[in-house]
Amino acid sequence: MNQPRRSPLLLQIATGDPRPINRQIVDGVKRLIASGDLAVGAGLPSVRGLAAQLAVNPNTVAKAYTELTTEGWLDARAGLGLFVATPRQRLSDAERERRLNDALVRFVGDIIALDYPADVLLDRVAAELALCAPKQPG
Amino acid sequence: MNLPLPVATGDFVIETDALTLRFRNKLALDRLTLNVARGGIHAVVGANGAGKSSLFRVLLGFQAATGGTARVLGCDSERLTPALRSRIGFVNEEHALPPWMRVDELTALQRRQYGAWSEERYDAVLRNFHVLPAQRIAELSRGERAGVNLALALAQGPELLILDEPTLGLDVVAKRVFLTALMDSSYADGTTILYCSHQMDEIERVADQLILLERGQLLHAGAPDDFCARMCLWIADGELRTGDLANLPGVLQIEHLDGFTHVVVVDQGEQFEVRLRALGAHTIEHMSIGLDRAVNAMLARNHAGSAVPPPVLQPA
Repeated sequence: MNQPRRSPLLLQIATGDPRPINRQIVDGVKRLIASGDLAVGAGLPSVRGLAAQLAVNPNTVAKAYTELTTEGWLDARAGLGLFVATPRQRLSDAERERRLNDALVRFVGDIIALDYPADVLLDRVAAELALCAPKQPG
Repeated sequence: MNLPLPVATGDFVIETDALTLRFRNKLALDRLTLNVARGGIHAVVGANGAGKSSLFRVLLGFQAATGGTARVLGCDSERLTPALRSRIGFVNEEHALPPWMRVDELTALQRRQYGAWSEERYDAVLRNFHVLPAQRIAELSRGERAGVNLALALAQGPELLILDEPTLGLDVVAKRVFLTALMDSSYADGTTILYCSHQMDEIERVADQLILLERGQLLHAGAPDDFCARMCLWIADGELRTGDLANLPGVLQIEHLDGFTHVVVVDQGEQFEVRLRALGAHTIEHMSIGLDRAVNAMLARNHAGSAVPPPVLQPA
């Protein structure tokens, strides 16, 4: 009865991508955690389960899980499997800065051709961020 | 005569040293030196005639080498004892099984031959292919025959399983079931799997190690990711002259597309930009490439019509 529930992982990988498959799994899980689709404490699929779901080598999934655990995104609980870790400073400052920059360049590239005035865009971004903000207790 | 006892050296299930197989006027294996570590899935890739099947035939003791040595599970492949043979599984290309036999008859025959036979493993594999015991082999589809073939091979609990193009001609459903069973055996039972395929998307999903053969020689042995990491696609403005590019080190493939020159390069690093600039390029970009493109560039480099001479490569 104490067996914690595992969450299904809404993840897809693509062959032919320059990113190796274990990289795609690592990035995909991080994205799901960052977006809140995978909540803190949620159980990850087993290595063989996820390997079968994605039709990839279990060794590749194991490698990706190891990396996510080492980086602090997942916690291993002996005998129970892997769980989404409580957030802490998961990345170095330089790495955060690099990723923010990458994301901004991509984002601006997508929206620049839509021809909205800057103040409208900034308002929309602020509104989206407000939706992601942790809810204040009480 | 004093025969040396088989001794496994290192943790390699296969060790070849300058292995050579010469037919009348063709060199099928050309001084091939290859070590295959225990565990994991090792995919052999190469053009038709690169030596994949020849290598398998020598390893299995079906064919005597004309030079060099091949050791399998620590023993010379030409002197494999029945005890060693029973630890090596083989799945042939055509999934050829006696067509007149019923599945259960064939199973009974094989069960008697192998001491390490596991009914549980056999059922676990075969269950996924929805084959009935009373069916005749001749009534089975290619995918179902592949399933029976794999179940028979894995039920023996082989330490090493060799498969010659096992997924050729399988439909998408059978192929996925087949590969999942293969990967499961490697992961759960620690079976070392050596197999060949021409399908790069499949190899990307399945292989721990990539063994790239060309004209009987080894081009690369290592993780597929490491192979891709050696490659880079450079895109320069203008139509740089093929002759100039072909003289640069590491150039594998040159294409002129929409006024740009695309060059796939191996083992060069960032300073390759300087070389492109020296040829007159102004705007230069580069990106990493996936396995399919990487293997393509490597194997296409000296096909007829390619202006690129084969670069000298150190097997990694």
